[in-house]
Amino acid sequence: MDDFLVIDHVTKTFGAQRAVDDVSLAVSPGEAFSLLGPSGCGKTTLLRMIAGFERPDRGRILVAGQDITELPPEQRPVNTVFQNYALFPHLNVWENVAFGLRMGRRPREEIRSGVDRMLELVRLAEHARKRPAQLSGGQRQRVAIARALVNRPQVLLLDEPLAALDLKLRQHMLMELNTIHEQVGTTFIYVTHDQGEAMSLSNRIAVMNAGKVEQIDSPEHLYETPRSSFVATFIGDANFFTGKAVEMQHEGYVRVMIEGLGSPLVLSNGVVSSNQMLRLMVRPEKISLTLKRPLSGERVNAFPGVVEDSSYFGSHTRYRIRAGEHLITAQLQRSRFSGGEISPAHGTSVWMSFHPDEGRIVRLEDAA
Amino acid sequence: MKRSWIPSLITLGVVLFLFAPLVVLVANSFNASRFGGEWEGFTLNWYEKLWAAGEVWESLWITLKIAVSASLAAMVLGTLAAYALHRFRSWLQNVHHTLITLPLVMPDILMGISLLALFVLTGIETGLLTIWIAHVTFCLSFVTMVVLGRLQDFDFTLIDAARDLGATRAMAVKKVLLPLLLPGVLAGGLLAFTLSIDDYVITFFVSGPGTTTLPLRVASMMRTSRSLPMINALSTLLIASTFVLAVLSSRLQRRA
Amino acid sequence: MISGSRGSKQWLLTLPSLAWLGVFFVIPSILVVLTAFRPADLHGGVGAGWTMATIHELRDPAYLPILWRTVWLSGVTTLVCLVLAVPMTFQMARVGPRMRQWLLLLVIIPFLSNFLIRIFAWKSLLHPEGPLTRLLVWLHFISEDAMLLNNVGAVLLVLIYTQLPFAILPLYAAAEKFDFALLDAARDLGAGPWRSFSKVFVPGVRRGLVSAAVMVFVCSVGQYVIPQMVGGASDEMLGNKIAQRVFSDRNLPHASALAGGLMLAVLVPMLVVSIWQRFGRKEAS
Repeated sequence: MDDFLVIDHVTKTFGAQRAVDDVSLAVSPGEAFSLLGPSGCGKTTLLRMIAGFERPDRGRILVAGQDITELPPEQRPVNTVFQNYALFPHLNVWENVAFGLRMGRRPREEIRSGVDRMLELVRLAEHARKRPAQLSGGQRQRVAIARALVNRPQVLLLDEPLAALDLKLRQHMLMELNTIHEQVGTTFIYVTHDQGEAMSLSNRIAVMNAGKVEQIDSPEHLYETPRSSFVATFIGDANFFTGKAVEMQHEGYVRVMIEGLGSPLVLSNGVVSSNQMLRLMVRPEKISLTLKRPLSGERVNAFPGVVEDSSYFGSHTRYRIRAGEHLITAQLQRSRFSGGEISPAHGTSVWMSFHPDEGRIVRLEDAA
Repeated sequence: MKRSWIPSLITLGVVLFLFAPLVVLVANSFNASRFGGEWEGFTLNWYEKLWAAGEVWESLWITLKIAVSASLAAMVLGTLAAYALHRFRSWLQNVHHTLITLPLVMPDILMGISLLALFVLTGIETGLLTIWIAHVTFCLSFVTMVVLGRLQDFDFTLIDAARDLGATRAMAVKKVLLPLLLPGVLAGGLLAFTLSIDDYVITFFVSGPGTTTLPLRVASMMRTSRSLPMINALSTLLIASTFVLAVLSSRLQRRA
Repeated sequence: MISGSRGSKQWLLTLPSLAWLGVFFVIPSILVVLTAFRPADLHGGVGAGWTMATIHELRDPAYLPILWRTVWLSGVTTLVCLVLAVPMTFQMARVGPRMRQWLLLLVIIPFLSNFLIRIFAWKSLLHPEGPLTRLLVWLHFISEDAMLLNNVGAVLLVLIYTQLPFAILPLYAAAEKFDFALLDAARDLGAGPWRSFSKVFVPGVRRGLVSAAVMVFVCSVGQYVIPQMVGGASDEMLGNKIAQRVFSDRNLPHASALAGGLMLAVLVPMLVVSIWQRFGRKEAS
């Protein structure tokens, strides 16, 4: 995996605020990569620096080995799909797509074939003569993608590509974007605040918070082994417990003493030493609920609690369970109750249990 | 929800109030009666007389020369001013903005007398040039306001998009900003043109011998009762052209 | 954006209009005030030296009724224009976009029609031989020898007629942005149509109301053509005196002194409004 787009110790401040704080990352050729984070985390500023609309205070940006930090936007091998598409309202679809090629003074024949081919790719050939105002949201988005891709950029930047679309269209465009990415093979950089979008669009995700990159990983790794509680809460839901490592065990497990709950056994990830304070994370759907204490012995962590409330979501049901001072969220699929074992109502005493492999140790420093 | 009928009634009343005098004027221009008190039959007599009144057409020519050149100058100055006001936030633009808005609320008579004072004290002969200067001055603010309104609706990410697609800064302005701004600039120019044709008070202060613009001519015609019916005919023509210009201007502003 | 020469670019873009207005608006306005302190020469020009004589002449008690008339005519005009324009723009903002365009056009056409022509239209309408007089006599509202023209009522009527668009246009701009769901909310919370109009809509277009009031007042206060054409000898406004001093007496310093007074009458209400608005904005934020 050779690095294609390299962000090398880039910092950008606006006034007193560090929008992007010493960020480094590398993207492989052809990869679909996402910058994910809440608004104000610096992801858009980073995108604008890659596109050339902002200049970093420190650090370098390289594409295919070429340092583009000082280049103006028009000279970069990078094109952008803007958040609200920024289609030129005075030009029709065809002229919008041709704009970049015209600016590059390409031969007339090349412009025509290039635009036509691109409009075929996004299935808009029959709308070529329409103005942007006459198109639906999804069509506008496809014009924006075609307008950027026709220039054969080495990197395509997509700023919140699905934010302006309604839910149904969003799911459709999600698949469409994946198809287009497969067909053209260009490096795609998505910027989004929606974890679902990032997870289904990209090979790897950089989770950003307060100008810094918290973790770069594949969607699966981010979800299963988040390194910080920020990542754990930003991607999916999580229960957190603060405790102390009391007993190191063989095969990489550690017993954690949690005040008011008990001493579950979890994977140590090799980062824990005895008597260390740490934070334990368990995803709601990893917790099972039963009326009786589970029998499977010491390999299962089980604690008693009382159901406080439940919300029905169709595909699953969420329970809030009180155990002393802890309020724990558990999420169960309907099918798990098909055995008719329990359907806990408010006030029911239940047992919560999870497998030691499902508990994660995350960094302690930031309280979620 | 039931809507009150009072606002509709007032609206109807206001529109009638605004149009009644104009309608009477237009009707009288075809009325054989000299004073227009009652209908004495249809005639084109007043239009024929107007057609023969050479001095009126001479005045129209002077007025058009001033209006076209003044509104062109105001379009250039006003567009630059609006761009600067929109683009920059600074003490300079605060001063600039105040200076642009003050003429809008300055009574005509004050602008007229102060320009007259300037020309008298500097010894500049009043005439076509001084009228042109005065017209550019009061048109400038109106054009700036119209273009500024247009700029506020302009999505500046379009400039980013153009540059992202390989346009230089100058190219982005030429290919994206100007074409999209043009309807606003033209609408501003059209407004300036109408205001310039219409102006009586300021022109009266800074005019000299041989520069009788159309409003000045109308004012002098109003003093002689013989030419009163001719004013009806002239007014009808002017109202008709105002109507065309207003429709044109609102078309321009709506296009985007 | 990458631009090192931002400052010089700003000056380059600002300078043309700034210089133009500086030379042809700011300097002349200052000159007018200065001219008030210069003696007049016999040829309608300005003599050498400085004098306070003109300022002293302004204390002539004959000016007082004229000043008072100027202010009350402008005040009543402003009030009537607002009372008509607020419900009208309310109506304009809540009808469909097509109807709205038409109404706007109907306001703009008389507004853009020649100013003199509009006064002339009223002059022939109010003329003793004119259609309105005949209609009113026929209806027995007025007697045969009543004069609709050449009195202060005619001045007020034509003032309102010419200034009404100045009230409607800024109010319409404000009403167009008004969120009409707020009225539904007010009705839902138990306010009647009048109370939801006066307690929700009118405060909602407050900014437009203020600029409409300033616009109408300022434009009325400087009028001289209307009283000259439809008013009588005793219906003169301050503007008439200024015009007389310039064109009949050819006394520019005296005219300048009066113009300086008028300038104060314009700038003071504007200053009050802008301070009030700045204060109001702070209060809101």
